[in-house]
Amino acid sequence: MRNKTFHLRDIILLALIAIIFGVIYYAAAFVYNGLTVLLTPVGYGPMANDITMGIWCMAGPLAGFILRLPGAAFLGEFLGAAVEMFLGDQWGAANLISGAVQGIATELGFTVTFYKLYNWLTVVLTSLFATLVTFGWDWFRNGYSHFAPHMLVIMLVVRFVSMLVFSGILVKLIVNMLVRAHVTKG
Amino acid sequence: MNPSLKLIFALIISLEITFTTHLTGNLLIIFGALLVLAYHRVSPHKVTKLALITLIPAAALFVTMAFFSPGHNVFFAWVLVSRLYCYVLVGGAVTLTTDKLTLIRSLEQNCHLPSKFAYGFLAALNLVPRIRQAVVTIRVAGQMRGVNLHWWSPTLYFKAILSAIQWSDQLAQAMETHGFVEGAPRTVAQPINITKRDWLLLIAGLALIQLVLIALP
Repeated sequence: MRNKTFHLRDIILLALIAIIFGVIYYAAAFVYNGLTVLLTPVGYGPMANDITMGIWCMAGPLAGFILRLPGAAFLGEFLGAAVEMFLGDQWGAANLISGAVQGIATELGFTVTFYKLYNWLTVVLTSLFATLVTFGWDWFRNGYSHFAPHMLVIMLVVRFVSMLVFSGILVKLIVNMLVRAHVTKG
Repeated sequence: MNPSLKLIFALIISLEITFTTHLTGNLLIIFGALLVLAYHRVSPHKVTKLALITLIPAAALFVTMAFFSPGHNVFFAWVLVSRLYCYVLVGGAVTLTTDKLTLIRSLEQNCHLPSKFAYGFLAALNLVPRIRQAVVTIRVAGQMRGVNLHWWSPTLYFKAILSAIQWSDQLAQAMETHGFVEGAPRTVAQPINITKRDWLLLIAGLALIQLVLIALP
């Protein structure tokens, strides 16, 4: 955009975007809890996590698309996690770890295009990397390694679809509106 | 204990228990976190609320692991449940006992977090009530025109981001007119030090955690 470092304004903007997402999907938190309760009796309770994963990962790609700087996606996602921690989210300090993991995950999608491409391919790439990296993290954190293989495949596909719909397509639609409003580069 | 060290300690614990499967270890860590919370006189009401919200994902993991997974591994199911509670309570032992201003000041002074991040982040956090209000206003304005903006409508985010861009400009400008210069050396009004006691507590704590995680089954 302008030069290659983050300035005070960018940092405030990233934190504000993270807060906006936090405020809006605070309303969506019941989706996660409701889904978990519904899916638990059939043994797919943890899948609520995969269904909603794309929602929690929206701030990163959006920051990457708006600021177009190396590290923007990571910072957007990580600041989002920090905001959640400070607002008294149940996961507390552990948020910072998952925020860092999700941040690296979305950043990779931009890194492989050398921060040159900002189109639908980037959307698919960020969703793909975000899915794989966060799934790898849950492999350890939530004990996915012990799940049945067919279940893992379903969960991986569901997570990718969620990423693509929310942190991919929805983010791109928002970015398109910002581009049309000449707020950010097309 | 120094807020930065406390945070680092909690992060190390959270990372370690992610890659280990010690039920006794996890239970002892939960017990320790509860002790810390009690020592700081955090209201039991808050802690109970934390524990109750966590019950939902914990139950989901337990049921799937114990009844629907190939090994029907009940032991591992308990490990996962206790691990979730470790995350929540260890995290709570940091966030419920430290106020954010002190933590960020400490990160700036003790961990050399650049001041633009420290104060930029704090400035943004102070806008939370206004952002909440703005989101409500955008929704109501939509409803007046017969448009219902759901949480998945791009328009809702678009409008909120427009406000955010304006606010970030104004805030940054305001901070700069008040003399904030990025990267310039700063004096501190409230110095936060890391004392010998803080280091001792951290090292002793870490040693204890290793002992618990390695020596116990």
